[in-house]
Amino acid sequence: MSLERPDTVDDGAVEQTPDELEALLGDLVVDRDDHLNAPGFVIRPDTVQETLRTLKQEAGYDHLSVVSAQEYENRYESIYHLKKYDDPTQEVSIVVPADKDDPVSESAEPVFRTADWHEREAYDLIGIEYDDHPDLRRILLPETWQGHPLSMDYDKDRPQIATLPEHANPLEDHHKDAESDTMFLNIGPHHPATHGVLHLKTVLDGEQVADVEPDIGYLHRSEEQMAQSGTYRHQIMPYPDRWDYISAGLLNEWAYARAAEDLADIEVPEYAQVIRTMGAEMCRIAAHMLALATFALDINGDFTATFMYAINDRERVQNLLEDLTGQRLMFNYFRLGGVVWDLPEPREEFFSKTRDFLDQLPESVEEYHNLITSNEVFQMRTIDTGILPPEVAKNYGATGPVARGSGVDYDLRRDDPYGYYDELDWDVVTEDGCDNFSRLLVRMREVEESAKIIEQCVDLLEDWPEDERNIQANVPRTLRPDDDTEIYRAVEGAKGELGIYIRADGTDKPARFKIRSPCFSNLQTLPEMANGEYIPDVIAALGSLDVVLGEVDR
Amino acid sequence: MGTAPAQLFPEFIVDTLGLDSVIGEVAASLVAAFVVGNIILAFTGVAGPWAKRKITAAFTDRIAVDRIGPYGLLIIPAAAVQLLAKELIIPEGVDRPSWDIAPILLPASALLGFSVIPMGQLGPINLHLADPEVGFALVFAFASIASVSLVMAGYASNNKYSLLGGLRAVAQNLAYEIPLIVTAMSVVIFSGTLQMSGVVGAQTETLVTIAGVSIPSWYAFVNPFAFVLFLTANMAEIGRNPFDIPEAPTEIVAGYQTEYSSAYFVLFYLGEFVHIFLGGAILAVTFLGGASGPGPESIGFIWFVVKIWGFFLFTQWARAALPRVRIDQLIEIGWKGMLVLSFANLVLTAVIVGVIA
Repeated sequence: MSLERPDTVDDGAVEQTPDELEALLGDLVVDRDDHLNAPGFVIRPDTVQETLRTLKQEAGYDHLSVVSAQEYENRYESIYHLKKYDDPTQEVSIVVPADKDDPVSESAEPVFRTADWHEREAYDLIGIEYDDHPDLRRILLPETWQGHPLSMDYDKDRPQIATLPEHANPLEDHHKDAESDTMFLNIGPHHPATHGVLHLKTVLDGEQVADVEPDIGYLHRSEEQMAQSGTYRHQIMPYPDRWDYISAGLLNEWAYARAAEDLADIEVPEYAQVIRTMGAEMCRIAAHMLALATFALDINGDFTATFMYAINDRERVQNLLEDLTGQRLMFNYFRLGGVVWDLPEPREEFFSKTRDFLDQLPESVEEYHNLITSNEVFQMRTIDTGILPPEVAKNYGATGPVARGSGVDYDLRRDDPYGYYDELDWDVVTEDGCDNFSRLLVRMREVEESAKIIEQCVDLLEDWPEDERNIQANVPRTLRPDDDTEIYRAVEGAKGELGIYIRADGTDKPARFKIRSPCFSNLQTLPEMANGEYIPDVIAALGSLDVVLGEVDR
Repeated sequence: MGTAPAQLFPEFIVDTLGLDSVIGEVAASLVAAFVVGNIILAFTGVAGPWAKRKITAAFTDRIAVDRIGPYGLLIIPAAAVQLLAKELIIPEGVDRPSWDIAPILLPASALLGFSVIPMGQLGPINLHLADPEVGFALVFAFASIASVSLVMAGYASNNKYSLLGGLRAVAQNLAYEIPLIVTAMSVVIFSGTLQMSGVVGAQTETLVTIAGVSIPSWYAFVNPFAFVLFLTANMAEIGRNPFDIPEAPTEIVAGYQTEYSSAYFVLFYLGEFVHIFLGGAILAVTFLGGASGPGPESIGFIWFVVKIWGFFLFTQWARAALPRVRIDQLIEIGWKGMLVLSFANLVLTAVIVGVIA
C-alpha cells in the first residue's frame, strides 16, 4: 500500500516518550513547558548546542523546522521546533528563555545550518542576540533599521527613513580590490530570473560562481504582525493567500486552518475535508505548473513555447478553482471548521469540467516530457548541476520537492496526515538525482499524483448523500483559546512544510503568530548548490528551488 | 539554366541610363546599394515588430499583434515611432565614442555582407551588387566584424552584465566561426571558385532525375552532412537559440544590449535581424542554390526571399523549442565537436573531389 511507511527501522524512527527524552537530556532540562503538538523542555540559554546535538545524534531529531522567538513581560524566548524526517509526528520543542535586559542565547547554527537564517530573523524582528552565530545581521529589514518591530517596546510611530549616505554603495570599501581576480555581481533585486524581488550577491571568478549570498526582505510585508492583530475567527484567513501567491492559496489557508483548529479543538466535517483536499491539490497543480513554466523560461530563454503551454494548463486549473471559490488567486475559501460554501451548482457541470481537465492532463504532461525532460540539451543543462546531497538538504531544513528531489522521503500529507489524504490512494514521489533535473521531475510527477487525488475526491463528492453535505462545523463566533497554549502545526504546501506557530494569550487574537515558510529554508540551500558552478547553473538552481518571494519574506 | 551570370545591378543601371563617366558609375553604384540596402531593411522592418511576434505567437499557442491595421500590420510604423521617440539614456561612465560606434557597426557589418550576395533576378534586374573573385571570403569577413561590435558594446557599457555578454560573444564566435568557414570551404572545393556567382552557378546542374523531376546539385543535396554542420554553426554565428548565449536574458539580462535604449537599441535590434538574414543568405548561396528554383530565372529573387525567410522561420522555431546550452558546453561543442567534424568533412570532400574529378 502506498501510504505505508518503509518498514526499515533505523534509530530515527524509534519513538521516545517525553520522559525518556527528559532522561536523555538529564541536567540540561530546567523545566517542562509542553505545547499542544509536542513536549517542551526549557533549557538554559548557554546549552542550546549541547541540547540540540544530543537530540539530533542520540534521539534522531534531525529536522529543525523553525525557530520561533518572542518577547514576554519578563523574558525573551526562542523555541526550536524539532522533528524527525523519518516521522514528523514525533516532535519536541526546546524552549530557550533569555534575559529581559540582555537577551543573549547560544546559536544553534553549528548543529543545524538552517538556524542561521531563522536566528537572524529572530534577531531582526524580536531582538534576541545569538552567541556564536557566524553572521548575525538583519535579514528582512534594511541594515539601517532602528529597533526590533516585534519587540514590546517598539515605537511603531517612529519614521524609519534610511538616508542615501547610510545606504552607501557596498562595493566601495571591501569589494573593490585591484589585486583580486574575482568580480562582484549583483543579481537582482530586479532580474528576469529571480522570480520576484530577490537579490543575489554573487562573486564571480570568470563565468564561475565563487560565492553567492541571497539577500532577502524586499517583499517583507509584516504578515506575522498583521496576523497578530487579526481575530482568529475571520480576520486572519485572507492573509495566507498572500504568502505563496502562485495560486497555492488553499494550501496556505490550510496551514492556518490546521493550526487554529487544533488550537481551538475544532472538528472539521468529513465532507469539508474532501472539498479541502480536492481544492488544495488543484492549487498544487497550478503551483507546480508555474514552477515548470518558469523553469523552462530559465533554461530555454524567454520565448519558449513550454512557458505558454504550462500557463495554459494552469489556466484550466484556475478556472476550476474560480468555479469552486469565486476567486482566481486570493481564494479566502477556507473557514475554521470547514469551507465557506459548497461546490458550485450545478454540481454535475463542475464535476464534468474537472474530469475533462484530468483526462487531458496526462497528454499535457507527456508533451512537457517531449519538450523538455527528454531533450538532450535540457538534460545536459540540468542533470548533475545544482547538486544538493540529502544530508545537506536535511541540515538546511529543506522540504517539499526540493527535499524529495534529493531522495528525502518526507511528505506531511502522508507522514503527518491531515484532511482526507490518508483515506486516498496516492504515492509520495521521490527522485535520487539530487540535481536540478530531479527537482523538476518530482514536480512533474507530483502533478500526476495530485490528479489522482482530485479524481478520487471527485468520485467521493459525486456520491456523497445530499443530507450529509456538511461544510462547516459549529464554531463559536469569537474564539478565545486558553491562555498560554502554544501550538506548531504544519501542512505540505506547494513548496514544502508550511507551518504555523501560535501562542494564545486568552484573547481573540494570537499573541504570537509565526510562519514557517518552506521557501525561506529552501532558499538557504542555494549557496550549497551554486558555489563553483557557472552563472547559468545558479539561475537553474534558483529556478529549481521554486521560491516565491512573498513567502520567503512574508 | 547554367547560363553566364547576368549583368550586375550597378552595371545595369549604368547601361540603362547611359552613364558612362566615373561619376556616373559611382552614382549608379550608390543607387544600387541604396536599393539593395532598403530591401533588406524592409525585411527587417517586417520581421522585427510584426513577423517575429506572429511566428512566436503561433509557436506558443497565443494571439499576437492583431489590433492595429489589417493582420496587425500597422504595428510596424507604430513600433518605429514608439522606439525612436524613447529617451536615449546614456549611463554614467560609458566609454565613448566606442559606446556609440558599436550599435552602428553591427547593422553596418551585416549590410556590407549583402554587397556580394547574388540575390537573383527580378525581371530584367539582377540584384547583385558586386562579384569579386574573393566574394566568398569577403562575406565571412564582413559577418565577423559583428563580434567586434559586440565586444565594444560589452566593454564600453560600464556594466558587468554587458561585459559578460561581450566576453561570451567573443568566446562563442571564436568557437564557431572556424568550423563555419572550414565547412564553407568544402563547398569551395566542389565549386572550385571563391566567386559568388561561380558557387551559385555550380549548383544549377542536375544531380539526379527522379520520375522526370530533376534535382539540382545544390550542395545541401550533394553533401547533407556539411549542410547540417553549417546550419548549426550558423545558428551560433548569429547568436540564436540554442546559442543565444551572449544575450541570455534570463542569465545576464540581454548581455551587451543591457545599457542601450531608444535609437541605439533599435540599431542593435536591427543589426541582429540583418544578421539573421545575412546568415540565411549565406546559407542559401552556399547550400541551397542561391536564387535558383522552379520557373524562369527572372523570378529568382522570389525564391531567394523564400529561402532567407525560411531560415528566419527556422531560427524562430528553434527559439520557441530549444533550451539554451551553457557557455562552457558551447565552447566544448565548438572546439571538440564541430571543429573536428568540419575538418573531417573538408578532408573527405577534398579526397572525393580529387579522386572523382
